[in-house]
Amino acid sequence: MFYRLSGVHHANYVSDSRIFKVPADRNLAIFVFLFGLAAPFLLPSLYLNSYMLPWLIWTAAALGLNLVTGWAGQLHLGYAAVMAVGAYSAIHAARFGVPWEFALIIGGLASSVIGSLFAFAALRVKGLYLALTTLAMQFVMDWVLTHSPAISGGSHASLQSPTLALLGQDITSDTGYYYVAFGWCLLVTIFMLNLKRTGLGRALVAVREKDFAAAILGVNSFYYKILAFAASSFIAGVSGALLVATFFFLAAPEQFSVAVSIQVLAMVIVGGLGSIIGSYLGVALILLVPGLVNGIVAGGSQSLGMQINVETLAHIPNAVYGALIVIILLIEPLGLGKLYGNIRDYLMVWPFDQLRK
Amino acid sequence: MDWIFLSELAINGALTGLLYSLFAIGLVLIYKASSVPNLAQGGLTMVGAYVVLALSHDAGLPLWLAIPLAAVIMFGLGFGIERVALRRLAGRPVVMILMMTLGLDIFLRGTTLAIWGGTSRSMELGVSYEPFFLGDIFVSRIHLVGAGVAISLFVAFMLFFRSRTGIKLRAIADDYMASWSVGISVERGVGLSWALASVVAVAAGVIWGEIQGVDQALSLLLLKGLTVAVLGGLDSILGAVVAGIILGIIENVGADFLDPLVGGGSRELIVAAVLILTVMIRPHGLFGRHDIERV
Amino acid sequence: MQEKVEAQPILSMNSVEVLYDNVMLAIKGVSVQVPQGEMIALLGSNGAGKSTTLKAISGLLKAERGRVSRGEIKFEGTDITGMLAQNRVDMGICHVIEGRRVFEHLTPDENLTAAAPTGMSRSDLNAEKEKIYNYFPRLAERRNSLSGYLSGGEQQMLAIGRALVTQPKLLMLDEPSLGLAPFLVAEIFGILQKINQDEGMSVLLVEQNALAALEIVSEGYLIENGRVVMNGTAEALKSNSDIQEFYLGGGEGTDFHNVKHYSRRKRWLS
Repeated sequence: MFYRLSGVHHANYVSDSRIFKVPADRNLAIFVFLFGLAAPFLLPSLYLNSYMLPWLIWTAAALGLNLVTGWAGQLHLGYAAVMAVGAYSAIHAARFGVPWEFALIIGGLASSVIGSLFAFAALRVKGLYLALTTLAMQFVMDWVLTHSPAISGGSHASLQSPTLALLGQDITSDTGYYYVAFGWCLLVTIFMLNLKRTGLGRALVAVREKDFAAAILGVNSFYYKILAFAASSFIAGVSGALLVATFFFLAAPEQFSVAVSIQVLAMVIVGGLGSIIGSYLGVALILLVPGLVNGIVAGGSQSLGMQINVETLAHIPNAVYGALIVIILLIEPLGLGKLYGNIRDYLMVWPFDQLRK
Repeated sequence: MDWIFLSELAINGALTGLLYSLFAIGLVLIYKASSVPNLAQGGLTMVGAYVVLALSHDAGLPLWLAIPLAAVIMFGLGFGIERVALRRLAGRPVVMILMMTLGLDIFLRGTTLAIWGGTSRSMELGVSYEPFFLGDIFVSRIHLVGAGVAISLFVAFMLFFRSRTGIKLRAIADDYMASWSVGISVERGVGLSWALASVVAVAAGVIWGEIQGVDQALSLLLLKGLTVAVLGGLDSILGAVVAGIILGIIENVGADFLDPLVGGGSRELIVAAVLILTVMIRPHGLFGRHDIERV
Repeated sequence: MQEKVEAQPILSMNSVEVLYDNVMLAIKGVSVQVPQGEMIALLGSNGAGKSTTLKAISGLLKAERGRVSRGEIKFEGTDITGMLAQNRVDMGICHVIEGRRVFEHLTPDENLTAAAPTGMSRSDLNAEKEKIYNYFPRLAERRNSLSGYLSGGEQQMLAIGRALVTQPKLLMLDEPSLGLAPFLVAEIFGILQKINQDEGMSVLLVEQNALAALEIVSEGYLIENGRVVMNGTAEALKSNSDIQEFYLGGGEGTDFHNVKHYSRRKRWLS
């Protein structure tokens, strides 16, 4: 079929350590990249701004969470709090007059520091208990944020983001915002794609599978857990900062609440733990589909002449969002990334039986 | 410090804490019977309260009929949840099960609000708001009623877990495979635990709905319920009750000290701190089981 | 021999294949007959497919994403191939799974209660428990302590006792001797034999410890690589030279001149 090869067979180590082991995957990636690059010229600015941009930034953030949850296997229910740290630090730095390039890095580093605190919980407990601890930490962070006017920006608890400027250029246009988001997402994606080829990536996987077995093999699980949390928090911080700088323009605590933490985790799990394309798909599904369904319901009811309660309409996206999580987990617990892999593997040897690895 | 004031804080805290226990019992039931962390209890509580309201206010049934009827409906819903959502995930890693219950929670909340709207409604149980004095100490009647319900549920479930069915449920939590091997229907057992937790959710929904109104804030009890469940030990009903009382007292007394210092709203902070400290210091809680490791 | 053909076996498996995850063929056409009231052993090395055979009979395959893809399993003449595990237990098949998985957080007494069939009356259950405590007096002493803290031998006894509560007609045991001291193995096997004789219960025993198993069973099957490669009476198996060499640890030490010869023989067997 589209793949022109029957199964993945490597004849040498170079081909085995390629990022894209299937040429069609590489072609797909190149196509998506080119489409992303050309999107401002192809899509109306409404789509660009309200769909593409958040999708890219949330994907970057989800990839960061995937690093710690998918690769290192540490459950994290306080990711939004870490994003908030980055966002607030970067914006305060920028308001203080620090150039945005450095402000973003400051945001990332601040997140790393706070995010590493979460790692100390991970050193003590795993699984469910880690999830609960990080959840509690999220509540603590939320509380600190809402109760310190110095951070959250006075009595309105909102903080205006100064105009984004990178490399001496003020960025104010939709296209400009889009490219910033695109560049950041690309950077994170390249990092994550390469991660699995590095010793770091393998160490993280070893820690995920069995941390004390990894320790016996000489992998310092203590060090790698902290490293995973720090790296993922850095991504979270910058993503949070960019989200405010290019999308919300106004930072408010509820943008980084518990519900958001759960949402990012949902994106990662629905997408597939440890899957990069999965994170893209997961974010698209969780972020865009509920709104889409709502639009369809609203449009459908109107054309059928039915009156749907405004309140009902307002809560349908939430119900759909929950239902999506449940449905995807029922169809394929390993997420959309695995689903994509299954379809690819099926087509790769079509019309014969399934691919044997 | 005024001792009467302090004991009033403590007693009212303990009563509120027992209401947290009422919520936490739902979590513990499911954990005890299937080792599944149930983060959907908030959503279930909301659904429970709304179903009671729909039966009593919208359909006009008297409350004494509406509440048992709602319990029956929720019992069925609990079984349904196990059948549809959890059966296929049995044996999967905890991440997925956790996400599944979170997804269920979001779905239940969203659906409830889509059907009944988001405006807060009152339960109108008919419990008098007249102050009730215990010696010199003022307590709220509805809290007393709720505490009574929590304690009777506690006694009922303590007895239940000694019964043959209860022992089977505990066996399931221990080892799915061994349970299958001796003919225990794991699916039915887990379903039963969800059904019972849903019935508990009706009780919690009614009491909390009376106290703070029936709206989506009911699902925010999750953090407190989780804290109580973890502090007591996730699989201990007795733990849920004792930890509820402890957390209620710490929260009420602590907030009284802390609020003036930080400008109010310190309850959430205290609860989160208790949760973090419990997990860090004693993850299996006060009465939870240690995992037995023999070499 | 003639009688066995006429009497209906309590269990018969006909060329059963088991597929895990739709890709891995774990057993490739195993046929086993358990005559009424007899003790039968399945022998073989690790990964030969013995446990899978038992799981196919007890219905526990489903929990491990396995399924019977070919062949049929009949219990007392009824086809049970697609039945749920719990229904098979109700019919009288009970499987003591490998590794003495008792309910650790329950007491031995509660372990027995948990396994009781739903319809069993309280007095029947108590009588049943007393009977089991008679077979295993060690359990009676510790009936109210936590099972997780019992010794390995006691846990194995509890696992067997727990299976007996389900009133099985066919008891299947997966390596009851695993990790136990020889005298405990002897004790447990002795009790099994007693149960077999007292209650007329058929027993299907999976063992690595062929020496001990062949002492108590009447007939044995040798499984290798998912196939039955040999079967016969215990006496016949014990005297078979291949069995002696590979499973009973041969009499006269390794003769290195013959190593090659043996390995070829083994390949031919499988």
